[in-house]
Amino acid sequence: MRASTQWLRELVGVELTPAQMAERLTAGGVEVEALHPFGEELAEVVVAEVRAKAAHPRREKLTVVDVFDGASVHTVVCGAPNVPAVGGRVLLARVGAVLPGGLAIAERELAGVVSRGMLCSESELGIGAEEDGIVVLGPADDAPLGTRADEAFGLRDVALEISLTPNRPDCLGHIGLARELAALCGVPFALPADGESFALRALHAAHGTIAADGGDVTVTIASPERCPRYAATLVRGVQVGASPLRVRARLHSLGVRAISNVVDATNLALFEWGYPTHAFDLARVAGRHITVRLAVDGETMRTLDGVERTLTRDDLLICDGNGPVAIAGVMGGADTEIRAETRDVLLECAWFEPRGVRRTARRLGLHTDASHRFERGVDPDAVDAVARRVSALVRGLGGGDIGREGVDVHPLPRAEVRLQLRGDRLRAMLGDPEATLDAAALILGRLGCAVSTTPAPVLPGTVLDVVAPGWRPDLTREIDLIEEVARVRGYDRIPTIVPNVRPSVTGTPPRVRFGRRLREHAAAAGLYEAINFAFLAPADLAACAVSRAAVPLANPLSEERSVLRTSLVPGLLGDVRRAQRHQGERVALFELARVFAPQTDGPLPIERRELGVVLSGPRARWLGDVEALDFFDLKGVVASLVSSACGLAIDTVVDARLDASVEDGGAPFLHPRRRARVRVGERDAGVLGEVHPDVIDAVGLVGRPLVAVLDVEALYDAMVAAGLPRARPLPRFPHVTRDLALVVAESVVSADVAAALREAGQGLAEDVQVFDVYRGAGVPEGHKSLAFRVVYRDPSATLTDERVDRAHEQVSRVAREHFGGVLRA
Amino acid sequence: MSAEDPVQQFEEGLAKVEASFPQALASCPDEHTLRAANARFVGPQGELTALLKWMPKLPGDRRKALGQRANAVKGSVERAFAARLQAIADAARAAELSGPALDVSLPGRGVRAGRLHPMTRVVNELIDVFTSLGFDVAEGPEVELYEYNFDKLAFPPDHPATDMQDSFFVETGEGVPPRAKTVLRTHTSNMQVREMLARRPPMAVIAPGQVYRRDDDVTHSPMFFQIEGFLIDEDVSFANLRGVLARFAERMFGEGTPVRLRPSYFPFVEPGAEVDIGCMICRGWRGDDDARARQAECRVCKTTGFVEVLGCGMIHPVVLEHAGIDPERYSGFAFGMGIDRIAMLRYGITDIRLLYENDTRFLEQL
Repeated sequence: MRASTQWLRELVGVELTPAQMAERLTAGGVEVEALHPFGEELAEVVVAEVRAKAAHPRREKLTVVDVFDGASVHTVVCGAPNVPAVGGRVLLARVGAVLPGGLAIAERELAGVVSRGMLCSESELGIGAEEDGIVVLGPADDAPLGTRADEAFGLRDVALEISLTPNRPDCLGHIGLARELAALCGVPFALPADGESFALRALHAAHGTIAADGGDVTVTIASPERCPRYAATLVRGVQVGASPLRVRARLHSLGVRAISNVVDATNLALFEWGYPTHAFDLARVAGRHITVRLAVDGETMRTLDGVERTLTRDDLLICDGNGPVAIAGVMGGADTEIRAETRDVLLECAWFEPRGVRRTARRLGLHTDASHRFERGVDPDAVDAVARRVSALVRGLGGGDIGREGVDVHPLPRAEVRLQLRGDRLRAMLGDPEATLDAAALILGRLGCAVSTTPAPVLPGTVLDVVAPGWRPDLTREIDLIEEVARVRGYDRIPTIVPNVRPSVTGTPPRVRFGRRLREHAAAAGLYEAINFAFLAPADLAACAVSRAAVPLANPLSEERSVLRTSLVPGLLGDVRRAQRHQGERVALFELARVFAPQTDGPLPIERRELGVVLSGPRARWLGDVEALDFFDLKGVVASLVSSACGLAIDTVVDARLDASVEDGGAPFLHPRRRARVRVGERDAGVLGEVHPDVIDAVGLVGRPLVAVLDVEALYDAMVAAGLPRARPLPRFPHVTRDLALVVAESVVSADVAAALREAGQGLAEDVQVFDVYRGAGVPEGHKSLAFRVVYRDPSATLTDERVDRAHEQVSRVAREHFGGVLRA
Repeated sequence: MSAEDPVQQFEEGLAKVEASFPQALASCPDEHTLRAANARFVGPQGELTALLKWMPKLPGDRRKALGQRANAVKGSVERAFAARLQAIADAARAAELSGPALDVSLPGRGVRAGRLHPMTRVVNELIDVFTSLGFDVAEGPEVELYEYNFDKLAFPPDHPATDMQDSFFVETGEGVPPRAKTVLRTHTSNMQVREMLARRPPMAVIAPGQVYRRDDDVTHSPMFFQIEGFLIDEDVSFANLRGVLARFAERMFGEGTPVRLRPSYFPFVEPGAEVDIGCMICRGWRGDDDARARQAECRVCKTTGFVEVLGCGMIHPVVLEHAGIDPERYSGFAFGMGIDRIAMLRYGITDIRLLYENDTRFLEQL
């Protein structure tokens, strides 16, 4: 919303520069975002009269005009089509003027005629939108010749660009802003006197009549819950035309286009009181009857923007004898709008229930100056004053006659909002012993509250009785009053006291701390952290062969982001694809985030924390060969991060469930021959492996990316179940190592062999590690040679060669017999 | 040794050794030749060793004197050997220390380190600041009941206040009553509701996490990060809120960082405020000439010297009532801030989208 500082200064009577106003308002919670100056460069633009007018001798479209500025005659060449006849008054930019757009006016020859000045349009002066013709002053634009235009018509102004929070509808008009500014400056505020003699007849009924020649005008409220108050007045014999320059310029500075004097009058009332009113062409109101009622489903009307609107039974309508003429509080209808030939104007000033206006405006996607204010809540007590004011403005700009009375149909009177403010509560809430009730009473009074000290039995001076004004629908509780006192006094007057926070018994839940720990160890294991959006396209889920049972959004920004992720895999593979597109060779990312699955039992989906890892591209090698990252790089990274974060080793196993669907614990997104389940402390903790070639193709990747998906809660549970590590004594006797190589079928799993060898070691085989896998010369097709190093130790004695030999013989025999292994030399 | 005079022969042999060993040892360039040269004199086959073996054949009256002489020579040889050995070692060390230097510019070998996302790092810093002030960390669901995201936080129904946070709704199908509606949480303030329902005061909690709003441009991402904080206890006041914010600003952005509160409106707090802190980029608040000059050119704070970082206020009594907490006995404050903005300010990021593209070239920089 924009506000005119000139207008505010007229209303408040405090000498403040626009910048000071902006600062005070912002400090009080009415945020001023920008200042827009208008009419600053108009010193050499003056009122002048046309003395002579002739066609240009050589240029068809130009006119040579002699204008008199009260002191001398200037000959000016003008290109506008609307140069008035002799005697008409215009705005002359004299030689030497520099206009707002930077245009410098100088003597200038135009096809043989010297032009000494320029006749200006509104847009050239920066005071309006009109650019097709020059400003032609009317009878209402009264000013002596030679007067500076900015002074004559109040064109100099600075508009404030205000960003208002939705709780302050009162500040959507200059009176409310002025009241606020006065309170913030600590000065009293009084409404300007309107000096009008006509009155509105208030009727606590749902029906009222304005007596008028040519037939009574009647108002009926059929839906008092949605419209508890509706005032109407008539202005008859109006001459519709353009508003005076002063009005047009002011509306322009407020960001509103001047339309006609009648519509401009309603806009002036809107910006003055923050209260939307509406003008109907009475001649087009069928039956001279207004009914306020709810629409029936499917009812239609054409609004004044020319759009045919379909309505529902939740939409409130203003209707005449034939049907809808306006959508209450949102927009008027095209049929009854003010036209050039309108003579009699029916003015509406009503109070519509805010929630209903909001529902209708949102449903229709219509956000108007009117709906903006009604849905925030205009002052129900202002109806009478605003109805009178807008009538007077219409008459003032368009002439005509208001008659003796209007009608104020008011079936549901508003209940007064009575509040109490306790002094000790005020001080406790703010933590400020100096916040007194005396100060509070002064502040609340300036804001328009009726304040009195609560009588006995309450201790005198400890509680205030406060009646909130109608323009402050946000004041409904004691805390609202406390805020008013705090903000008008200034938040900087409240002391700064660091509280003694009482520590909780449990502290941060360990599961929460574990997430941070995992992230830190994942980074330490060589991975960069990724953060992907939680929403993606259903097609991404399909391409990545992860669960397609996703939570859909009802109002996504696009199809690309229309469901919640069921897995971190699509996001991470998308990151790889993006990297590959810009030649990023090596990708090593992790992400720890929530994934979502629909739940049938409850309203909320199931959310689970997942840790995803993706590797792609060349292994980090030192100055040598470049090799692609493979399964074992990924396994190493996962083992390293689980070991450091949880203190546990991982096992990688192949189980039958890997072939199942994702929902059943399978991993169809991984290569069926190069994938494994990750087991940590006897628990399934996720899967890892090479990305399935079909997924690589579907996502559009190159190479052989690797992916691990770990269940964060399973890792945590495994860590907790394992408990704290226990210290053991270090071995006191030396170990002996023996190597053993055996040729086995490809299908034999090294971990099985190692386990069997350890078992066979008669309690002396402390550790068995595979240290080489060999295929090639000397090893038959379909076989491989596995080399193991066995560490023998007797914890209670030094081993003799003889005992080691015996144990190793046994180990070798088991290897041969159980795995069909042939020992290699 | 022949039948000639053994004494003479012994003396000649000794003299020969005495005359030759210094040169023989000193001329050795390395340890290997030195040891060989030494062996020529004192090794098992060495000349001096041979002389010493001959000792018993010497006449008794001369034996002692000659023996002493021979041992003296042997001692000289050993000392010369040791000295030369040391000299060779010294030379070798000196040569190594002054020899060709390593090309230290070659890359290091081993695991390449990764890094936490800038957002996570800011979250961790904030967690450290607030946990050291006594706050616990909580996490909660990102898909939330409309009721917990709005109603229980005192958002009036059908009120423009909800426009401040344009929500993503979860598709729930026909016939779901409005109260069961679910949204992607628009703020971490849902954690106020959840924590208040789960525990009793006193409580001091911060809750970082992802939030979602229907915005997408250079400065707005449809998913972004917030951190919520609140304290509820007896006698918690607005002055305490200012106290915690002052500590936060100084610990997060440096000693002396000023904090400024402007009245503002959030339905779930009252009195409510927007908080500006002294610009951490130009530090114009320091007030010296340099600082003023920096502020005059600062694009981050647009020369105002302050940047808006969070919203806060006293928890609205209605919010406490909704959670069954007596607002006459307990009071509290709450604050919430956008972490993306702090990360962007901190690391000079101008396009918010970079935060969610996971481009290694970007992540490596920070």
